[in-house]
Amino acid sequence: MAINISNPKHRDAVVAFEAVGPIRNVQFVDPKGNPVETRRLLKTDIEHDLDALMKKRKTLAAVAKALIKEDPEIDMNEFGMYLTDTSKVYVSKKGIIHLVDEVEVVTNPDGSLRERRTRKKEAQNINTDIPLRWTGKFIKKEEAAHRFVFTHKRQLIHVNGLTFDFLYDMAKELHERNSFLIVRGGEKGDRPIVMHRGGLQYNAFLEGRIKGDEYLLILQLSNIELKRPALSEPPASGGGQKDSKRSAKKK
Amino acid sequence: MPRSLKLSLDGEEFSVQLKKIDREDLYGSVEIEAFDEKGNPAQLLVLASDGKTLLNKGGTALATVDQKGNSIERPSLKAVNLEGEEIEMVESSFSAPNKLKVADIDDYLSQVVKSIYVLDPDEGGDLKFLLDHLSSGLIYSFPFSYRGGTEYDNAFIIGNKDDAFMVIGKQARFQFAKLNQAARLDSLEEEEVSGDDIDFDLL
Repeated sequence: MAINISNPKHRDAVVAFEAVGPIRNVQFVDPKGNPVETRRLLKTDIEHDLDALMKKRKTLAAVAKALIKEDPEIDMNEFGMYLTDTSKVYVSKKGIIHLVDEVEVVTNPDGSLRERRTRKKEAQNINTDIPLRWTGKFIKKEEAAHRFVFTHKRQLIHVNGLTFDFLYDMAKELHERNSFLIVRGGEKGDRPIVMHRGGLQYNAFLEGRIKGDEYLLILQLSNIELKRPALSEPPASGGGQKDSKRSAKKK
Repeated sequence: MPRSLKLSLDGEEFSVQLKKIDREDLYGSVEIEAFDEKGNPAQLLVLASDGKTLLNKGGTALATVDQKGNSIERPSLKAVNLEGEEIEMVESSFSAPNKLKVADIDDYLSQVVKSIYVLDPDEGGDLKFLLDHLSSGLIYSFPFSYRGGTEYDNAFIIGNKDDAFMVIGKQARFQFAKLNQAARLDSLEEEEVSGDDIDFDLL
């Protein structure tokens, strides 16, 4: 992926933007020590699920009888095949549809309805003609760490010698400040980060570290604060758990 | 009854209970309802590569296969380290006290976060001792495994003004970039801001 980002002098450049996964120290092997892999298989399709079986047989008792006698829930030719290159489609009673009205149903943490609204799919804003802005708004690392949880991370990497200097200087400034830079997108530079059309919105913070001639520039993404949910009050001092409200909450 | 996790800090042992939190608990959630052009409800399904097989949730399964594609039973698998040596399984962190060590903030910020818990005291107890330590801004860590397994995750105990939290993660695969390691591509006013200025209700 690529990201278009500007530096403190308003110079912008398109650089590489890479997802960062966890370090894995464990792998699995078969009894002979050979590597194995995990594959996704077809277990059942909608032609063979309970709804489809009920349409033909009407009662659960009849379905149960058929399961024992005929195995109608299994397609011997298809089931167990590897699934690759799947796609997501909307299906109504007319079959696969391409014109879809999507409505967002927004609920509060207690499960009550907040709003119903037509879904608007925000365009991605990390690699457009308008670079992500160096806002000049900094937050100390310590404060950020104790206020937000950074659930996703992306690393910015140079694509040539010029962009090495461009990114190194940004990392150096952030390293010396011991601060994160708040990064915003959009024309006015006031929008959260959206990495793909219709994707989740994140508050983005740029973190820089340097080690000699090397740099690490991380876009720390957060969509959750480090705080106790309102419906999850701590037990009274010296008392037991009181969490009945939360357990009844619709998630 | 939730399980208690025993923590040990500066020679003092105390028990906490973990309550998992996520975005929905704090801000609510958004679900998508879809309709065709005549207003009939539509559902999102998975279409297989043959262009006709439709799957619902639960229509897929994961299988472990060898290099020839033969299915292998999971209990027969061995966990090995990167050198191919068999590794010892780790125990659940609920089975013994967990000693807290002061963590580096950069280590904490380098985690790929898996889950977040708010800590509550065990019945009859309190977290004053822990909260006092966290109030100075210190972060503590220990190796954590919920059920036991092949390896530990990293648990970080961190506080805000009022509560203590446990953030579980794994070290991210960051690499410092050098000049000769370029990737390929497919003046403002400065100000210090407070976290209060940032809106997290992004629904």
